[in-house]
Formats: sequence, C-alpha cells, structure tokens
Amino acid sequence: MNQESALTYSKVNHDIIRMLDKPTVKWWSLFIFDLAVLAFGLFCFLYQVYTGLGVAGYRHPVFWAVYITNFVFWVGIAHSGTLISAILYLFRARFRMSIYRISEAMTVFAVLTAGLFPIIHLGRPWSFYWLLPYPNQRELWVNFRSPLLWDVFAVGTYLTVSSIFFFVGMIPDIAAIRDRVKEIPRKIIYTILSLGWKGSTWEWGHYTRAYFYFAAFATPLVISVHSVVSWDFAMSNVPGWHSTIFPPYFVAGAIFSGLAMVITLVVPIRKIFHLEQFITIANFEGMAKMIILTSLIVTYAYVVEFFMAWYSGNPYEWGQFMYRAKGDYALFYWIMIFCNSVVPLLLWFKKVRTNIKALFIISLFINIGMWFERFNIIVISLSHDFEPGGWGLYRVSWVELGVTAGSFAWFFMFFLLFIKILPALSISEIKEILPAPTREAKAR
Amino acid sequence: MIKEQGVFGIFSYIDSTVQAIKKLREADFKNLRVFSPFPSHEIEEALERRESIVRFFTLTGATLGALCGLTLTILTSLDWPIRTSAKPIVSLPPFMIFVFELTVLFGSLATLLGLLINSRLRRNAPRIMYDPRFSEDKFGIAVVCKIEDIRKVEEILKLSGADEVQFEGI
Amino acid sequence: MSEIKKGGSTKPVLSKGEGLITGGIKRRDFLKILGVVGGTAAITGGCSPEPVEKIIPYVIPPDTIIPGIPKWYASTCMECPAGCGILVKNREGRAIKIEGNPLSPINSGGTCARGQAALQGLYNPDRIGGPHTRNSSGRLEPTAWDEAERILVEKIKEIRSKGNGNKIVFLTNNISGSLNRLIDDWVNALGGRHIVYETFSHEPLKEANRISFGINKIPTYNIEKTKYLLSFGADMLETWLSPVQYARKFSEMHGYKNKSMGKFVQVEPRLSLTGVSADEWIAIRPGTEAFLALGIANAILSEGAASVTSGEADKLNRLVKDYKPDVVSLITEVPTETITRIAKEFVESRPSLALGGGAANTSSKSTETLVAINILNYIAGNVGDTVNFGDTLTLSNANSFREIASLVDSMSKGEVELLLIYNVNPSFTLPKTLRFDEALKKVPFVVSFSSFMDETTEQANLVLPDHTTLEKWGDYTPQDSVYGVIQPIMDPVFNTKSIGDVILSISKKIEGLESQFSSNTFYDYLRDSWRGIQTRLAPDKDFEAFWTDKVERGGIYREIAPIQVRLSQEVSTVSFSEPKFEGEGAIYFMAYPSYRYYDGRGANKPWLQELPDAITTAVWDTWVEINPETARKIGVREGDFLSIESPYGNITTQAYIYKGIRPDTIAVPIGLGHKSYGRYAQNRGVNPIEILPVLTDEASGGFAWLSTKVNVSKTGKREQLVKTQDSTSQEGRGIAQAITLKELESGVHEQHELGEKFDMYPPQKYIKHRWGMSIDLSKCIGCGACVTACYAENNIPVVGKGQVAKRREMSWIRIERFYHEDNGFDIRFIPMLCQHCGNAPCEPVCPVYATYHNHEGLNAMIYNRCVGTRYCSNNCTYKVRRFNWFTYNWPEPLNWQLNPDVSVRTKGVMEKCTFCVQRIRFGEDRARDEERNVRDGEIIPACAQACPTKVIVFGDLKDGESTVSHLAKDERGYRVLQEVNTQPAITYLKKVTWDKA
Repeated sequence: MNQESALTYSKVNHDIIRMLDKPTVKWWSLFIFDLAVLAFGLFCFLYQVYTGLGVAGYRHPVFWAVYITNFVFWVGIAHSGTLISAILYLFRARFRMSIYRISEAMTVFAVLTAGLFPIIHLGRPWSFYWLLPYPNQRELWVNFRSPLLWDVFAVGTYLTVSSIFFFVGMIPDIAAIRDRVKEIPRKIIYTILSLGWKGSTWEWGHYTRAYFYFAAFATPLVISVHSVVSWDFAMSNVPGWHSTIFPPYFVAGAIFSGLAMVITLVVPIRKIFHLEQFITIANFEGMAKMIILTSLIVTYAYVVEFFMAWYSGNPYEWGQFMYRAKGDYALFYWIMIFCNSVVPLLLWFKKVRTNIKALFIISLFINIGMWFERFNIIVISLSHDFEPGGWGLYRVSWVELGVTAGSFAWFFMFFLLFIKILPALSISEIKEILPAPTREAKAR
Repeated sequence: MIKEQGVFGIFSYIDSTVQAIKKLREADFKNLRVFSPFPSHEIEEALERRESIVRFFTLTGATLGALCGLTLTILTSLDWPIRTSAKPIVSLPPFMIFVFELTVLFGSLATLLGLLINSRLRRNAPRIMYDPRFSEDKFGIAVVCKIEDIRKVEEILKLSGADEVQFEGI
Repeated sequence: MSEIKKGGSTKPVLSKGEGLITGGIKRRDFLKILGVVGGTAAITGGCSPEPVEKIIPYVIPPDTIIPGIPKWYASTCMECPAGCGILVKNREGRAIKIEGNPLSPINSGGTCARGQAALQGLYNPDRIGGPHTRNSSGRLEPTAWDEAERILVEKIKEIRSKGNGNKIVFLTNNISGSLNRLIDDWVNALGGRHIVYETFSHEPLKEANRISFGINKIPTYNIEKTKYLLSFGADMLETWLSPVQYARKFSEMHGYKNKSMGKFVQVEPRLSLTGVSADEWIAIRPGTEAFLALGIANAILSEGAASVTSGEADKLNRLVKDYKPDVVSLITEVPTETITRIAKEFVESRPSLALGGGAANTSSKSTETLVAINILNYIAGNVGDTVNFGDTLTLSNANSFREIASLVDSMSKGEVELLLIYNVNPSFTLPKTLRFDEALKKVPFVVSFSSFMDETTEQANLVLPDHTTLEKWGDYTPQDSVYGVIQPIMDPVFNTKSIGDVILSISKKIEGLESQFSSNTFYDYLRDSWRGIQTRLAPDKDFEAFWTDKVERGGIYREIAPIQVRLSQEVSTVSFSEPKFEGEGAIYFMAYPSYRYYDGRGANKPWLQELPDAITTAVWDTWVEINPETARKIGVREGDFLSIESPYGNITTQAYIYKGIRPDTIAVPIGLGHKSYGRYAQNRGVNPIEILPVLTDEASGGFAWLSTKVNVSKTGKREQLVKTQDSTSQEGRGIAQAITLKELESGVHEQHELGEKFDMYPPQKYIKHRWGMSIDLSKCIGCGACVTACYAENNIPVVGKGQVAKRREMSWIRIERFYHEDNGFDIRFIPMLCQHCGNAPCEPVCPVYATYHNHEGLNAMIYNRCVGTRYCSNNCTYKVRRFNWFTYNWPEPLNWQLNPDVSVRTKGVMEKCTFCVQRIRFGEDRARDEERNVRDGEIIPACAQACPTKVIVFGDLKDGESTVSHLAKDERGYRVLQEVNTQPAITYLKKVTWDKA
C-alpha cells in the first residue's frame, strides 16, 4: 500500500496522461514494422482470394485448419478482457482497476481480429454477407439451425457490447485528458470524444448505473460467446468434437489464454511507461492465481475427454484420442499438454508468481499451448474421423502462415495506437480506490 | 421573471464538499450541481439523489431484443421452409441462442442511449460553471440562486472550506 | 479456320462464336445426323472429308431437332480388341457420353474405364490436327490432304516402278472387319504384306489349342456356366481377351444368389486385381504353373475321376505320371494338400473351368503350360461345355511376336521400303533390345495413320491422321458371333480423314488399282462388304432394311454353340520343363498390363491417369510392387525410388509395399513412361517393357512377359507416392463387411436392423419417391468403370498429380480398398459415394441452406448458394464431399465433352454425388409426358449404368415393389456406419466369402 499512498489524484492524472506524449522513435519503428507485416498478410489473403482457397494447405478431409484455429484463439483472447472488466467489476475485485482498461482494449481488438477469420476461410469470401439475415428480393433467408450462424450473432453482439463497454468506460478519462492537453488538434478530438463530460454528480449517477448494466450484460454474454464457438465443434458428429464438455472447457480455456495474453501485454507496458506504482505485483499475483485455476480446469477437461473416450467404448472416439497421443500430430499434442498443464504448475510457488520475468515467460508458453490446443482439436479430429478410407493429413502452407502473422500485426496495430491515443489505465477508477483527500487526514 | 445567478465553489477535500452540500440544502438551496473527479457515494448521499432511470431504458431494450430474436428466427424459417436433416422447420432450442444474443445486444444499445439522453452528454466542451481541475483533483459545487442570496451562499461555501468562490451568470 | 488452312494445328475445327451448336457440323449433315433415327442418320454426316466451316445457330430451329434432347447412336468400342458394343450420347451435334450397348452379347450394357474414356481420345487436345509431312529440315510440318496423298501416291509409284512392291509393309493392330479386308487386298494388290501386331496377342493359347485339339484358335469361355473357376494368371477382369465380357460372366458365376455361388481360385505370383475377386489366391512360384496343372491332373486321374475314354486316360497318365502332388509341391511351392483339394473341388463341382494366360503366365514355356491347362479342362469335361471352340476370337489372326521380330529384322536389313503403320505404337510396346527404332530409321519411307503423335508416329515421314472411332464408319468382328458396326457419332473434330477413304482415294491415282478399289468412299465399301454378310446370314431380307436395322442395333449378334473336340495325338509329344529366366538377379520381374492404360494407349487420357489403381490407389505415375519382407531386407519404405536392373537396362520408380506379391517377385504396371504421346502421357512414369529381353515362348513365338530376373537396389531418393487412400485397414469399423457362405446357409448372422430408429424428431416425409441405391459387394471387382463414368457424366474436373498429392481429387465416387490379414491376405473393395442420408449431418450445419434434403430423399447441393464454409464436409460421416479449391479448366477441345445438363462448378463451392439428378429429372419428366409413373429401373445413374458386373441397383425406396427396396431388406444388407444413425439411402450387401477349409 506504500506506493499507492504516495499517489495523489494529480499524480494519477499526470502519470497516465504522460503515456500519451509524442511517440518515440522506438514506437514508430515498431509501428512501421507492424504495418509491414500486416501488408504481407493482406497480400497473402488477396492472393488466396484471386487464385482460390487451394493455396492454403487444406487437404481432404481436413477442411478447417489454421484459419479457424486463429478464430477460436482470438475469440479466446478476447474473453479474459471482459472477465476482468465486467465479472471482476461485479465482484468488486480491487486488483482489476489498474489493468482492466488494457484488457478491455485487448478484448475489442481481439474480437476485431477474430471476426476476420470466418471470412478469410470462406471459399467465396466475397459473398460472406449471405450469412446475414437481410431482406432480399430472392426472399432467401439464413439457416438459424447452423452453429455458424450462432457464431455470426454471438461474435457480432460481443463486438458491439464490448466496444460500448470500452468507450463508455473511457468518457471521464478522456474528459480529463481534454482538460490537460493544450495543442489544438488533440484538444478538439478529445473534446468531441469526451461528449462534454463535466463529472457532475448528475452524470456520475447515470454513468455508474449504466456501467453496472453493461457489466451485467457482458458477463453472461462472454460465457455464451465461447459456448457458441465451442458448439461449432460440439454440435457436429466428428469424433473428438462431439462432446458435451466443450462449452465449460472452452470458456475456461478462453479465460486461461486471455489472462496469459494480458500478462504478455501488460508486462512490457508497465516497464516502458514505469507504471510500477499502478500495476503492482499484487495485480499480477491475482491473475497468476486465476491462471492456476483455469489451467487446472483445462487439464481436467483433457483428462475427462480421454476418460469418456475410453469409458464410452466408442471406437471412433477412442481411435481419435489414441491418434492424438500417438499419431502423426503427437508432437503438437504433447506441446499442448506441456504448455497448458505442466508449465502453469510453477505458479503454485509464490516466488514464481511474484517474479515478473517468470510470469512473462510462462504467459508466452500458455499462449503457444492454447493455440495448439485449438489446432489439435480442429485438425487432428478432422484428419482421423469415422471412415478410414477418407483419412488424410494436413500440412500448413505459407499463405496461411502469412495471414496468421498478418492477424497478429492487425491486433498489435490497434494496440500500439491505443496506448498512444487513449488512456491505458482508468484515471477515475484508480482515484476511486485511492483514499479520498479529507481535512482530517490533512490535519493529522 | 427573476434574473438568476450562480455561485461556484471549488474544494480540495471531499468531506468539506459534503459538509457544504449539507449546509446549503439546510439553507434551502436545492438547485446544486456538484462536480467530482470520480463517482463519490458520500456526495450522492448528501444530495439525496434518486435512482437513475437508465434502468427502464435497459429493460425496454432487452425485452424488445428478446421479441426480435424470436420473431426473426421463426418468421424467416416459416417464410423459406427448407428441410435440413430431419430437423423441424421451427427448432426452438437453437433459436433461443438468437433470443439471448439479441436481448443482450438491444439491452446494451438501449442502455447506452439511456445514458446519453439522461446525462445530457453533448458534443461540446463545458464552458460555464466548470473548472478543468474537476477532472483532476478538485471538487466543485455550483449553486443557482437569486441575486440577493449570493452573499449568503458565498458565506456558506467559504465557511465549509472552499478554496475559492466564483460568480457566474447563467 | 485459318489454323486449318495452315493445317495440322491441334486447334479444333471450330470457328468461334458462331452460335449455339459448336463442334462444327454442316447444316445439311447436321439435319441428317439428328433428323433421322439411329444409324441411317449419319450416312453423309460421318465422313465428309473437308474441314467443316458452317455452324448453324437455332435461328429457325429445324423441326427435327429438339434442343436439349439427346440422340443415342450404336457403335463399337475400339479401345482394346474386345470390341464391346457401345451407345454414344449426342447432344446438339456432339458426343458427350459413352455407354455400353445392352444388346451386345459381349458387354451387354457395361463398359470399362477405358471405354468410358474413349471420349477423351476423341477430344484429346494433343490430337494431330491434320496431315503432316517431313520437310527438308527433317521436321514434320502441316500440309494439305491432297498434297499428302499425292506424296504417298508418288512414293508407291516409285517403289512399284522399281518392282519393289514386295517391300511394302502395312503394320496394323487387329482390325478384323471390312477395313482389314480392304488393307489386305490393297497391300496384296501392291505386292506387299499386311502384318497384324497386337501387344497382347496370346500366341501360346492358339498354339496350345492346336497341339491339344488341333484348333489353332483362341476359344471363348462360358464362365457364367461354371461352378468352379481355376485361373492360372489370366487377368480376365482387367485386360485378358475380353475383360468386360468376362467380368459380366464372372459376376453371374460368382455373385451370390439364392444361397449359392461359384468358387474362384487364382494362381499367380502377384495378387492381381482379378485375383482380388478370387476366393483363394495361390502364390505360385513364377513359371511353374504347368506343373501345378499337371499335379492337379495327376490327382484327378489317379482318383479315376476324369471323364475321358480309357485310351485317352492312359495317354494322359503317361504325360502326368511323374507329377505326383508332393513332387509338384516342391517345384511350385504350393502345399500338397492344397493341390489335392483343388483337384477334388475341380472335378466335383462341374462344370468347372481352368483358364491360363495373361502376362503373369507367359514364360518361355507357356505353350506347354497351356497344354497342361487344356488337359485339366479336358479331363474335367469342360471342353465343349465351358470352353467354346465354336465361337473363337479374331484375335487369333494376329501375327506372333516372332513374326514381328523378323519384320524388325528385315527392316534393319533394308528389306522394307515403305512401312505404313496404323493403330500400333511399336517403338513403345516393343522391348528396347529389339532395336525397333534403329530398324525404323533404315526404312526409307514411313507413313503413320495415327491420330496421336506417339513415339512411332514422331519418326514417320508422312502422317495421315485417321478419325477416331467415334468419327468414322467401320465395322469390327471381335469374335465369330459378333459383327459390330462402327458409325460416326459426330463430324470430325480435327482436319482428319478416315484411313479407308485415304486408301480408296489414292487407289484411284495408282494404275491397276482403280478398278479393284472402285468404291468412292469407305462407307460404300463397308456397305458392299455388308451386302456379303447379308447374303450369307439373311439372304431373304432387303439390304436397306437389314443395314438400317443392324446399324441401329450396333451390329449382328449370334449364338454359336460350342463344338465337341477330342484330344489330339500331338499332346503326348509335349514335354514339360521349367522356363528359363534371363538375368542373374535374385528377383523375378513382372511387367503386367494395366487395366487403365492397356498397352499404353490409355496414357493420354486424363480420366484414366486420375483413376486410382484399385489396389495401390496410386495415380498419374508408375510404381513397383514389393513384398514387405523383401522391402525390410533392403530397407525400403513406400515412396523410396528403387532401381530395377536387368541385363538390358534399368528403370527407376517408386516402391509400393504390397503384401499381395511373393517375396521373390516384384511387379511394375505397363502403360506409362511415354517419351511423347501428348501432354498427359509425356515424361510420366517408366515403361517396364524397356528392360525386358527379347525372349519368346519357344513353341508359339509369343512374347515371354515373365522371363526376367532383376536386381533391386535403393537409390536413396524418396518422394510421397501419390495415391488417394492412405489407410489400408478398416480398423474393424465394418465399412466393407463380409459374411461366409456357411453363415448365410445356416442363417447364423446378426440381422441388421434397418428400420427407422427411435429419434428426437419425426422421420422424414417423402411425397412421391425416395431415391435409393443398393451396392452388392459380392460382385464389385474394383474396376473403376463407375468412377470414370461419373467423371464423364458430371463434368468432374481432373486436378492432376500435384493436387491429388494433396488429396484434392474431385471424384464423387471412389473405390475404397481395405486389406485383410486374417486367414490369408485378402482385399475388399467398397464403392463409397454420397449416401444421401435421411438424417444427413451435412445439411443442418450449412448457414445458408446450400445443401438440404429434398422431397425425393436426395441430399441436394446448390452450388450458387454455397459460400464455402466447408462445414458440411467436416460433418459428413463418409467424407464424400469435394471442394473446388480452384476453378478448374478443360483445355480445348476437351471441354466439348462437358454434359450440358450438369453445371460446371467454379472455385470456392462444395460438390458431391447427386445420384445423377439430371437423369432422375429426365426420367420423371418423360414419365409425366407419357402420363405414367416412373418405371423401376428406368432411371439409371451413370455409375450403375457403366458397371460391367451390375453391382449397383438404383430405384425408388418408397415403392415397395422396386428391386432396390427388396434389396434394402436383403439378409446381406447393411448400412455403413449405421450406428451414427444418418439413415443412409444406400444399402450395401455384404461380400460373401467361402469359408477357408
């Protein structure tokens, strides 16, 4: 609490708004490199649209692969953001205050990234809008029984709601920036963005109420979204997909990977902008503990999948899981187990939990592990289902890798812009947890 | 009509602000505008504000969303009845997903609307009766009162420990 | 047209954009073709020599033409010597589909993959577009027909003036019929020789028959009658003699019906596609078949079970006495008890039949082997019953390999001045050591009539491209009982000319011949020769009526009863000894004819290249089959490049590990390894014939295919062997099920419950029909005719080796093969296609309703609505959906073959089997027009139609009387992966196996 007590309201304003100072050369070089990667990704996609989906590595019968893996991965990333900002808000968890803005930003950008992949992976991406139920003279409608359409609505809603949540949360802080900045262009922009926020009790009253409802909506939404995503698989009959455990399994996995990503993002920001006072070890420890929990849930899911495959006596399920552990993709499977089930065990030790470097490295492992979890579920199941005559192997192509790299660039582009344009930490909420200045305190 | 004036006090401490509010209300000055860098319960209590009506917007939006979800799925399915597998044309279990999603979507949008309308947020910088420090570390009370009451108000503010007091025409 | 004026360019004769009916047909001819019924139609249509220019649009539709209504023409397939009868579908003046002619006794409706692919010969983009002559710089350059013919006439005159008429040789394949007669007479008139060369000409068969029965002919075999078939290496279901005919007859004999079926034992070192259909495979030591036959004969005779006169008995006993089963067992590596058992079964289950021949069984001693087999048939009383000498094959007229060799010899000696080559490609099909190419260089003037630029034609001085079979008039007599008519289905695609017309027109310019060859066109000549046939067979009939009738029916089909023959004296003179093998190597080398390419002529047809070989499922390349044991010894895995070294050279190709071949033997399919012959054949695979010695069967002079021992070594190079099915085991998942005869007889087998199971939702309702199918695995021989037919009918693109390597072949129906190691090695085939499930998993997952269940039980696919999420395929239990990864193109004029009733798909959409919905609609519409219900069996999908063994039955499951709904309740019936409860519309009937004794 020492550092916190050293904090004054004005210091909070100062330190956080300081982050928006003129970008350094480092920032620019990073940003331009990012744009270059993004450009390559875009090229790969256009090349694919022009020549046909064949330039991706798909092989019969593996008709979904890296693209859908990325989709699930990014949606997963998104979740912890909402978790931290909404669910922890409802639980009034204090350690969320300093990091929730960053994780909310992460949510919005991750959903923006995830949303691309269902379109990228289409055979005819130019008619993606046929998935929307819009009135047309041919009187064609969409199939509301298809899990893919559930996706369209779930992800769409999720994007809208989390963006609203994100921007509304920032209004008071933007007002604060508006009141600080002098130079004209920025002043005008922030003035517009702040919607003339004055911080009157009148405003605060409605604001807190509305914010509470957003949180209340976001919480079940975030659960539903990843359940729906998991149903893309669970609702099919593919051995290795068709499983009732998927929704909780996926939600846990999503939060797991999301928290890891938050750490991956927050650690460098904290260092670069010297936010040690705001983002404390305690915050990290809180996240670390949740990682342990979710890791255990995920591991449990892995075990249960195997158990059910064996216990059900279903030859296809059992064949599938033996294939995962021993088949052509065994390496990926064991990478997943190592990263998601073994590595997080280190966090049981307080020493590790409280060591930023260690946390950072572990978070990277988890990111990798969770990407492979999705890859394994999708690709291995497809390449080894009911009909041995149809079995085939998948091999990734450079186009898919290019697009994947591009998607990361796309995500980080938004993120880089975010930390330079918008308050990365919540000014007003940090003030809430600071002891309010009183005359008594002064007197003492 | 009577020309009105505003007195405008700026505080550094929350307890003195709360005290000032209480005193003013005792002195029957009900038309107060209080500014704070963060939502403060003390102030809210002191002002005895009633529950925000945003919640009604939310309720309406959510209900509307639920209905839309239901009608959209069912009506379009009936309008273009296509058999897939042996599933019935109107299969409610999957449709419930859309009901839920649209409930959330419309609910949130309505709430946003409610917020914007009720807190009268507009696209312009506050000019009068505002001080940039409110968004940093200062609290403020704006009292709308008749000209003859100005002194009285100023006194109350001063006594309660306002750092400074300003007068502004409305 | 400019291209045509220049001649020869492979651009089709078609002036672009001239309206609806492309393909180039003069209005007059067009009316004639389409206007009149059947054959009389194409009289002038077929053989208009000059390039066609006008193309008629439907401005004023001729009243005889109904756009969209196909016309069918009967003709004869010339893809191999079997001469199956075919019906060719003509739409708006173009041949678009070949089907078997049900009237033809040879194939009675069925075809093979090669027959289906004949269309890709017709429309092959690498066809020779017009006459070519070799210019001063030694390169072939296009020329005009008059010029080309003038050159030939000059040449002939020159040679005759020198009195060297005897140095003219006409080398053709077996073209028995009017053309054969014309060529014979013509060459004789010039004083030259006509030599008939067939790559697989079965000389030993003739010779053996001469020795045993005094008949120097190849008989026909009534396999359908036999109860017990014992084949020594005869690949009768692939290339041997008349594969489609024998496949049909075999299925009659071996298909399970009313609780019984015939037994089939195959004796060969390598389990061939034919062998796969056998109930027992005897992996005999190469070249020792004779002794096995003798051993069996010995056992029969010693039992006194032979049905022969006592005189014959002693005579035969003297022949076989040394070959007691135990002795034979040592030579052949076949267990003694097996020999005695087979002997017992062979005589007891009559009528039986022993076949011999095929590349697997042509050593330097094959005549003796076949004599031994004749003896077997004789003592079992099969000769004159299942062996029919009344109806013999015209293939018997082919010259022997020894005669070909001597021709090559005389060529190299410069004793041939003019060599005319038609329909054969010796520089590919003759072993290198014969040095045909060198000999060819010694021939001053070589004329080729080939339609394709093959290895031989490339070296010709003059190229006079003939029409393909589908563009010209002709006839063909495969066997005595059949006179097949060949009629043009459409006008020539390229600037080609029928060989008959060429011969006749140049005869006009050669003094002494004009009188003898007076007919103006070959069509007239043909009719004249058929007048002869008419006077012979139906003297009382009016010719025109006779001719029209025969052309409509596709020919004359007669029944010829077997004749009784006795054993000749000469048999006793035969002495048996082991054949000799060239080369010091440790491993027998077997080059076997491919059922996809025959002798290599199929290699330029993409459909055949992409048709997976039934056993390996490999495509677009050659491989070498090697036993796992041997592979382990030299440390070879699948895909390793092996160098195969014989004394006459070596070839390098990829290994395929195959348990169905003896450890001391390796096998390579014939057909690929072309140096030219068009884009699809060129520089692809290897030609095993190259390393074979010039070794003949001593008695008959036939080529000894299996006569080499080689060394096999690893090259270290390794690549993915491109094939369409990786797994060989069905993991006990009951995909391709089998049941033993005993189980069926005793009825002890779990009856599969096929009714609607309990379900959350009510079962599907069907208004009028529910289309369904049944597939009888006891008849499927894995020949792949259905696959190719499907390609032809449904505009399925060919994707090429690179894409198949990524498993992106587009075939809607695939023949899956599963290996079974339990009691002996055995392979099962199962045609896998869209099951049109009642509860189709693919349907509900599509977000845009691009696939759905229609009211006739079809799992419909709407290409235009598909956005390509590919979820349907992921959720397909049978993995039978195919995705258009790219937009695939058909090089001009291959695209002329596209079926106008089926839309061509573009990139990004899913596709799959539709049960040939276009045929269903056609049938339903016709029924409606005729105000009746659709008859059972009226609608036949392409796969079912093509199947030579009638494995597939299609019909209405809603009509309880239909064949298919009866079969759906058959005791052998099951549905693949039934437990997933997809309610498939396809019922598979279990394969029936003999219980291993």
